[in-house]
Amino acid sequence: MNVFGFENIILIVGFLLIISGCYCLIRTYHLLKITIGIELAMKAVTLFITLAGFVNGNVDLAQSFVITTIVIEVVVTVVAAGIAINLYRKYGSMDIRNLRKLKG
Amino acid sequence: MEAVIYICLGLMLAFGVMAVMLHSMTKSAIALAAASAALGIIMYEMGSVWAALIEISVCSGLVTVIFISAISLSNMEKKELEKVYEDKKRMSLLPVILIVSGVVLVIAAMALGVSLPKVDHAANVAGDLREILWNNRQADIWGQIIIMITGSAAVVVLFRERD
Repeated sequence: MNVFGFENIILIVGFLLIISGCYCLIRTYHLLKITIGIELAMKAVTLFITLAGFVNGNVDLAQSFVITTIVIEVVVTVVAAGIAINLYRKYGSMDIRNLRKLKG
Repeated sequence: MEAVIYICLGLMLAFGVMAVMLHSMTKSAIALAAASAALGIIMYEMGSVWAALIEISVCSGLVTVIFISAISLSNMEKKELEKVYEDKKRMSLLPVILIVSGVVLVIAAMALGVSLPKVDHAANVAGDLREILWNNRQADIWGQIIIMITGSAAVVVLFRERD
């Protein structure tokens, strides 16, 4: 049983990336930086799905899930960037605390 | 193969942490693109060739372009930069948290004897990616189409210039 096999190292690195992304979500108020944190956590998820496919020997099914994840990732980024730009136009900053002032 | 995966994992973690911690938003976006590229190489090495291609072209290319566009559309003022600086102060604990978490995860893996099942290449039940996408995962395709239409609508609404 090799604890330091590359599969286990991938798991550990994935968890560390998720921790980094979540820490970024918790500690920053900059909307684009928050989006970068979400992206980072999603990259770890992509890594886990790829690892699962590799371990099970079902790489193609994993690839189809990864492609779905990537599509979702891009759309989340586009929507977040659009909201960030509108926030900047309205308040002159991308601070998410400004979102509380919005009505409707 | 394993050496490349180890190197790319290290690069991915380093660029990921840089993306979160860097002072400049442009540099953060570029670091995220580099992390994506490293992930693409790992995926390629693990046999997910098509997913790696899409990861590198879309996540490393398109997403970076979106970030850089958003940054350039919002000319950052001094006030904004000060906020980023506050972010930098807030982020200073991250390396410590990551080192502690890494040590805890390694100790836990060693203590519990965690090990993934042996890689079973013989049990490659899959056929073709296209067949799986079109025949087995058709619901995913419809979901993707709906998400892309939603994203397009969001772009039209959110990036519209005000009169």
